[in-house]
Amino acid sequence: MKQHNFFDRIIPITSLVCRLALGFLFFYAGVGKIIAPREFAVAIYNYQLLPDGTINLLAVVLPWLEVFLAAALVAGFYVRGASLLSAGLFFVFAVALSINLVRGLDISCGCFSTAGESINWLYVVREAGLLALSVFVLFFDRGWRCLVGSSA
Amino acid sequence: MNDLLHRNKAKIAVILRSAFKEALLLFLIAVLVAVVFNALRPAGISLLGFSPAQTFHAPQTKIPEITLAEAYDLYIKNKAVFVDARDPFSFEEGHIAGAINIYPDEISLHLAGLKQRISPGTVIITYCDGPRCPLSHETAQGLKLQGVSAVKVLIDGWGLWQKAGYPVAEGNK
Repeated sequence: MKQHNFFDRIIPITSLVCRLALGFLFFYAGVGKIIAPREFAVAIYNYQLLPDGTINLLAVVLPWLEVFLAAALVAGFYVRGASLLSAGLFFVFAVALSINLVRGLDISCGCFSTAGESINWLYVVREAGLLALSVFVLFFDRGWRCLVGSSA
Repeated sequence: MNDLLHRNKAKIAVILRSAFKEALLLFLIAVLVAVVFNALRPAGISLLGFSPAQTFHAPQTKIPEITLAEAYDLYIKNKAVFVDARDPFSFEEGHIAGAINIYPDEISLHLAGLKQRISPGTVIITYCDGPRCPLSHETAQGLKLQGVSAVKVLIDGWGLWQKAGYPVAEGNK
């Protein structure tokens, strides 16, 4: 019974920490790309996965989506929607990275800024980890209440 | 047990349903704000139709030029890596000895190979054929965007190099 109470308390707090971490991460990633859309378009182009006609649109929309996800996750509104989108994005990022690693392309990630190191399998592991955090937040987030509420 | 499973399934369904609704709304708001912001800002880009050549050619940075004499001096001192920006067929027919072939669209494919050959003090010299050929500038811009900083363009490089009788090679070497 005691153990049950412990998990009831620790899971929402862990989820809140994950939520805030994801929020700050998305904010950092999104703002960097909003500043330099042309360079981000080149990063997307280098992945060689999308038709040319869709590259600029994605380069314009994705950074703002990341910023809105950040705002939602940090402020605590539409958390379920934000964490679902976040999980979807990390899944797509992991697949895109994996495809190009298998192809053997040496490209910059474009993950958090438009310049950067070449991709490697650690990036895929990181995306998978962030995907897991997003799913955790989706199902276990209880908001700020968990800090003040009782464990009942 | 069965009841618990059923209840959990129903709970997950409720969570996912509300998550999808919220996600759709967040996505639509983000699209709207992104498109409006892009249209209003001076540095906005066209939403449809990405052109690699146009993007690489956009004058974010001016690529310095180098004269044939300077380029040959660096070649002799082994302080230059020549990058042939022409298509692979022209490259195979003949190129500056020791050059590597990087067509503007293929920068990401060859970046690792190029970086291996760069040491401190090395100058990357891009060239193509003819005084009006844009490929050497496009490759140079692309390399700059990828973080290769010491890039210079040798205008009409292939033509000048051949006329001067400097070392050339054929094939892929």
